[in-house]
Amino acid sequence: MAYEPQYYPGSTSVGVNRRKHMSGDLEKLRDISDADIVTIMGHRAPGADYPSTHPPLAEMGEPDCPIRQIVEPTPGAAAGDRIRYSQFADSMYNAPSIPYWRSYWAAINCRGCDPGTLSGRQIVEAREREIEEYTKVQMDTEMYCPALSSMRGCTVHGHSLRLDEDGIMFDMLARCEVGGDGNVSYSKDQVGIPLDQKINVGKAMSEDEAAKRTTIFRYDNVAFGGTADKRDFDEGLVALHHMWERRSKWGFRPE
Amino acid sequence: MGKIHTKKLFVKALNKKFGKDFDLAGKSADYAPFKEQGVLQNARKREFIEWSKKLEGKRGISMYNPYLHAGGIPMGQRQIVPYKLSTTEYIVEGDDLHFVNNPAMQQMWDDIRRTVIVGLDMAHEVLEKRLGKEVTPETINNYLEILNHAMPGAAVVQEHMVETHPGLVDDCNVRMFTGDDDLADEIDSQYLININELFPEEQAEEIKAAMGKTSWQAIHIPTIVSRTCDGGTTSRWSAMQLSMTFIDAYNMCAGEAAVADLAFAAKHAAVIQMGDMLPARRARGPNEPGGISFGFLADMVQTSRTKPYDPPQVSLNVVAAGTMLYDQIWLGSYMSGGVGFTQYATAAYTNDVLDDFSYYGSDYGVDKYGGWGEAPATLETAKDLATETTLYAMEQYEAFPTLLEDHFGGSQRSGIMAAASGVSTGCLTGNSQAALSAWYLSHLIHKEGWGRMGFFGYDLQDQCGPTNVFSYQGDEGNPLEIRGPNYPNYAMNVGHQGEYAGISSAAHAGRGDAFTLNPLIKVCFANPALLFTWDDIRKGFGMGGAREFRAAGERSLVMPAV
Repeated sequence: MAYEPQYYPGSTSVGVNRRKHMSGDLEKLRDISDADIVTIMGHRAPGADYPSTHPPLAEMGEPDCPIRQIVEPTPGAAAGDRIRYSQFADSMYNAPSIPYWRSYWAAINCRGCDPGTLSGRQIVEAREREIEEYTKVQMDTEMYCPALSSMRGCTVHGHSLRLDEDGIMFDMLARCEVGGDGNVSYSKDQVGIPLDQKINVGKAMSEDEAAKRTTIFRYDNVAFGGTADKRDFDEGLVALHHMWERRSKWGFRPE
Repeated sequence: MGKIHTKKLFVKALNKKFGKDFDLAGKSADYAPFKEQGVLQNARKREFIEWSKKLEGKRGISMYNPYLHAGGIPMGQRQIVPYKLSTTEYIVEGDDLHFVNNPAMQQMWDDIRRTVIVGLDMAHEVLEKRLGKEVTPETINNYLEILNHAMPGAAVVQEHMVETHPGLVDDCNVRMFTGDDDLADEIDSQYLININELFPEEQAEEIKAAMGKTSWQAIHIPTIVSRTCDGGTTSRWSAMQLSMTFIDAYNMCAGEAAVADLAFAAKHAAVIQMGDMLPARRARGPNEPGGISFGFLADMVQTSRTKPYDPPQVSLNVVAAGTMLYDQIWLGSYMSGGVGFTQYATAAYTNDVLDDFSYYGSDYGVDKYGGWGEAPATLETAKDLATETTLYAMEQYEAFPTLLEDHFGGSQRSGIMAAASGVSTGCLTGNSQAALSAWYLSHLIHKEGWGRMGFFGYDLQDQCGPTNVFSYQGDEGNPLEIRGPNYPNYAMNVGHQGEYAGISSAAHAGRGDAFTLNPLIKVCFANPALLFTWDDIRKGFGMGGAREFRAAGERSLVMPAV
């Protein structure tokens, strides 16, 4: 019988969505072109060759190594690509993804990547051709909302701030703007350098859709522990208590 | 479930920050008005710009220019809000809480660095047994008078010595304290830290019982000396003046071998440093912040004797002292640099947020378990209090978007929620290990609920931390009171160390103890001549921010006017 990972407990929409993110079973909502993704990332011009930091592995005469024989290099590693990044900020007002779940998604589903998790941003680093591929997955699927998520390499401040009046997450560098047709466009790349042309990434999720797709618990949507007036622990919290207790009792007593 | 606290203490502060008619619960904002003003909306930033312009001509090189920020987009794209010092009426700008701009914060640290406690009994034994001198209350008073002449940097015994200007070193003083009431009665009041007068009766008895009939000197060398040198200087400066004073007061031969015994006692055998030396990779001498244990810092703060009826308040003042010292000065400057650490630390002592969360958890616990120190010190209690406190706190951040905006970083929120959980559990169980266990659980609840916590390094220690609670062997835990900033997992993380000190004190405040770890330190910092407001840390920071605090270590007396 094939092993099926059991990623996360709970039958709430948040529990289900968390499992979807971790398993990579993501609904595709939009199709942003490769060139547009590369432009927003800002590491190379679309269509340009991938710069390299070392010769292709096949030409390097690598040492005889059992690990190298077991692990097939990713195409980017084989070609000697630079390691580059994309980083996202996600609003606490029901953005579809959240930092730890971006990291879990990346660590489970993306080969050769290095996820980094903070409170207001989450970065994934990988060889350039792979990070472009991984970034496209994140932007094309339900991990991304053009208003509540944002690719930000620096000056990321915004995840915990009130939304702008147009529903966009605050951004000191104003990388995104909402057009008259409701579509959100990037006018700057992820580190705030102005683009020659705006890049349309589609319409923001409605409040209802964001509430349905989000992976964050909130007392006014899917509560993690009920409210102060009425406690009701989510299965995720019960599982967490279990883990914390075991870690406390047997941290130094592995028997 | 018992009575639920609904005071929401932070609302008053948020009203003062954002304006009293502001919709604190609104989820969207019109930031546009602030885009036009940028940094100019803020009086302190305008002051900085004005000063920089004034100084540039003099300096001949460019200086402060907020328009260099982020490619020309200055700070202030949204409202730059002030900070209310918790439980006080002081409202200051964020800039006023950087220690460089806040003389009270500097003095708090100076008061620690310039302090050592030196035992008198060993020296008296040398004088009596080896030299056959008579030691009486009269000779001790005479000795203390000479010492308060010599310790600031004045000469005794030798002729034609250079001396320090009294106007530059007037903060220096030495008082003694003793567990022997009969001896205390004979000591001139100007030289005595009177335990019976300064501490509530029960606390005084507890302290005297702990220290026995021993006698000690609370030595505070001049601030200007420790600022020019370092913490390691304090015991050396003090030992030299102590030795000279003994020679003078007891008519000793200046070169006799017994002097070496007195010096050895003052420098090593009978001295208590405020902080231990650190290993080479963080190399600092004694009396530097990284070596100050959480229990020692908890004992320096004096709220325990002025407000013993309010254990959370005691703990919150220790948190304030700790976050300023450990985050802003130790990690933020000794170990790193810049200004970001201040932003983390302020969350713990401003806007009554940590106060609200801590009192909520405490009210819940008192109602459920009966009173301070009465809850069983178990994982079950820690789970109950940490879960309730953290879920309440998360709900407040969600219900008040301006509160979430105020603590805009996850490590601020994580530290605050976990501190509230630890403080509540400490006050209720009287056990710092149960409190620490609650601290760790709170972080995990936060991370699990919101899918975010602090930052890479911040999260590490809290995710593995539950493994080192309720464990007392040195390499498996240690009581929290004797852990410190150099404890392996704690050594590089902002937003933790001050809270650990507060949690240490919570356990003992909950038990009604007179001190957390060391009764001598508790008495030493009760010295009324100390400049910083050791009984009300937040008030002191507010005074410093409001430019109402005059610190020691000033050099203007011997310099041309600005």
